[in-house]
Amino acid sequence: MASYTEALSAVWSRIRSSTNSKVEEVASSYGYLSYMVARYLEMLGSWEEVVEMLNAFERELVRSVRVNTLRFKDPREVVERLEALGYSLTPVPWERYSYTVAKVGRVPLGATHEFLLGGYYLYRGLASLLPPVALNPSGRDRVLDAAAAPGGKTTHMAQLMGGRGMIVAVDVDRERFRALRSNLERMGVENVVTLRMDGRLVPKVFGRFFTKALLDAPCTGEGLIQIDKSRKVKTSFEDLVRAHRLQVELLRATVEAVVPGGLVLYSTCSIAPEEDEFTVTEVLESSGRVEVVDLPIELNLLPGLSEYFGVRFPDGVRRCRRVYPHKHGMEGFFLCLLRVL
Amino acid sequence: MPPKGTVRCRIGGSELEEHVTRLYGAEVVRAIAGYVPMYCWSSFTEVYLLREELLEAVERILSSGRVPYSAGLYAGRLRRSRPKFIPSHILVERVYEVLGRYVRALEAAEQGVRVVLYGRDLLKGSTLRCFEPVERGEVVSVVGTDGRVYAIGLSEVGSCSELGRLRAEDAVARVIFDLGWYLRGGTVARERKYKV
Repeated sequence: MASYTEALSAVWSRIRSSTNSKVEEVASSYGYLSYMVARYLEMLGSWEEVVEMLNAFERELVRSVRVNTLRFKDPREVVERLEALGYSLTPVPWERYSYTVAKVGRVPLGATHEFLLGGYYLYRGLASLLPPVALNPSGRDRVLDAAAAPGGKTTHMAQLMGGRGMIVAVDVDRERFRALRSNLERMGVENVVTLRMDGRLVPKVFGRFFTKALLDAPCTGEGLIQIDKSRKVKTSFEDLVRAHRLQVELLRATVEAVVPGGLVLYSTCSIAPEEDEFTVTEVLESSGRVEVVDLPIELNLLPGLSEYFGVRFPDGVRRCRRVYPHKHGMEGFFLCLLRVL
Repeated sequence: MPPKGTVRCRIGGSELEEHVTRLYGAEVVRAIAGYVPMYCWSSFTEVYLLREELLEAVERILSSGRVPYSAGLYAGRLRRSRPKFIPSHILVERVYEVLGRYVRALEAAEQGVRVVLYGRDLLKGSTLRCFEPVERGEVVSVVGTDGRVYAIGLSEVGSCSELGRLRAEDAVARVIFDLGWYLRGGTVARERKYKV
């Protein structure tokens, strides 16, 4: 096999040949493109589980609130203010600043005085909390956030680092970059340098400089169907391949910017193997400078795929982790921790 | 956002300290001790405060011929005309922490804070307390009853004693920046950060 990227064209042929009337029927009843459902059957292995996942995508996403302890030392202060607005919050056991929203209050989370007044909290899906927790940066680290905007994970990492150490937050998108800067200022983050630039150029500017890096890669968002139903129909297979190629280039550049022994956390808000296992494997095979290591969190996340439409992935890829809405009660996500050799 | 046009940045300089001292007194220089200022300028000048940990990254960026979009703690903007310095809300909160009291501030009632967060002026009827010194046309902070700084305005009065002569609907501070900007025009429309 020449490369895993090139193998994607063979995968597409196999997806099309596996699209039968049952696939068409299920896709039609849930409003998906047929090729997506054919892939879900390949990934999950049974119709029963495919239907479980499709049903989970129809349910409302469980929201979480991360209290901004950079400005409010005691999370209880913020929790009590939200409880007074009718919210019911449950601590997230694996993230000490975050709470699951068990009951929504009288005012939406994005419209409360506490949110608008600046810096009390950020709200998001639970899975978005995973990448910073898995990378676990400390105040001694030099961290690269290679696709940082709008900054939810950047501010989370700054919080985990206690406002110490250093994060370089890079992104290329002008409008999203404004949101990044706004979030950093609003939340009082002071250990971040932002740089509007194509993330693929990072090694040219910094060389091998960072001890840890997060690449929460731009993706098709195939794990976010609970939030955006248009994702059932808007991504073609060509879009997936285009996203994969960009992800490979970004991940290669991210690896190049990290010192030997350093860690790179690759994540996407997509359950598409084309953007997940294929991307990681392409970089593993072509760079020779990285290996997959176990995440420092367990949470019963599922292992990376070992095979997909006849394409076998290296054994190490099973150490990557998949998050599914029907298994984990979160948005679909993929995480893979790489050690730079 | 950084100044428009060709942006240049330099690390180090005393302008920020001079402005902070002029506005808030020499004792509050402690609020910026331990940081190195970075000035980025074109048509106006933005000031950032950098911890030592950030310096190497910033130097690598500058030596590659690029400039950071932002770095460290945003301290405010230097201007050629009055007000010569518009401090950021974060810097002002730090100043008050060091001082242990408010200066150049107006405390707003809850409904006044809500109005201010839409970029509207603070009116006499929503002003609970005034903290000297205040100078007409110079920066003044709008603080909530919870002690947070929600806006920076330009004072419409020359001293706190002038408030007694104002009607409830008269403006006490013309708001030039409010925290609502971050969620309003700051990320969507091209609303200017400072309305001055």
